[in-house]
Amino acid sequence: MNYLLNGPVILLARLILGGVFILASLDKISNPEAFAAAIGNYHVLPFGLENLLALILPWLEFITGIFIIAGIMVDGAAIMIIIMNMIFIIAISQALARGISIECGCFSVSSAAEGDKIGIITVIRDIGYLILGFLIFYRQKHKFEFFPKPV
Amino acid sequence: MNIRIPIVQAILLVVISLLIGLGSNIISSKPIPWFAEELAVVDMVEINSDEPILAAISLKQAKVFFDEEVLFVDARDEGYYQAGHIKGAMKNIFLYELIFKIEEKQNKDTPLVVYCGDPGCGDSEQLAYDFKDMGFTKLYVFKGGWLEWSKAGYPSEVGK
Repeated sequence: MNYLLNGPVILLARLILGGVFILASLDKISNPEAFAAAIGNYHVLPFGLENLLALILPWLEFITGIFIIAGIMVDGAAIMIIIMNMIFIIAISQALARGISIECGCFSVSSAAEGDKIGIITVIRDIGYLILGFLIFYRQKHKFEFFPKPV
Repeated sequence: MNIRIPIVQAILLVVISLLIGLGSNIISSKPIPWFAEELAVVDMVEINSDEPILAAISLKQAKVFFDEEVLFVDARDEGYYQAGHIKGAMKNIFLYELIFKIEEKQNKDTPLVVYCGDPGCGDSEQLAYDFKDMGFTKLYVFKGGWLEWSKAGYPSEVGK
């Protein structure tokens, strides 16, 4: 366990999560309208709010991804990754439980033909990210972190 | 560990994203409204005008269009379409292919009705806006969608 919370594993987790979150944000940043529709399909937000979320969430993913790789406010970024993945898991699970078959809207939103349907795999994937997020949050060594300076 | 600092950092991340997200939307060439506005349901007078239109219609109006043999497009995923759709409605396929198929039947200034599952689904509006971007000028979103149509017992079909 100690090894998991030390050096290389944490660095790798930061790179993976950062990469995934940056990758996931790009298409959504350039297509907020399509992303808003993807959010709407989940039927969780009251109508109207999906636009606001579609404008903010992709940037949150992007900045969190950049910060966690660059070693800036890693604690805060890890918390955001944990919170976001929890929300994603809940949103996808409730859609699956209600039997709505929808596009994930996780990575690509620009083309409806691109089949990225939600499923158990999506949930497992997000649980994986969630675990990585917790590993980072409870890390013991603060290597390659630049702000705030590790004590 | 002092939990306060990480929480402050997390809040800071949200605030930064909020500022950039809303700010970039303001300067964007294609801004979207902060809060989605529901399309207004229009009456007959507006429907019969020659102006370009993108508006919501009621079940009653949808039935009138159906009886006038206006083309319907089902914006839902294929599985739902196969399980049941408005009679004669087109299936939602790759956008450009769909537009190509529509244009085989009619031009871009002929009325077109788009619908999805229920009043809460956003696919129909999204597709209608895509059509608008592609130059279609007479677009009607039947908000009640498959839910209201099938409840009313209006003509429908399965498969294909």
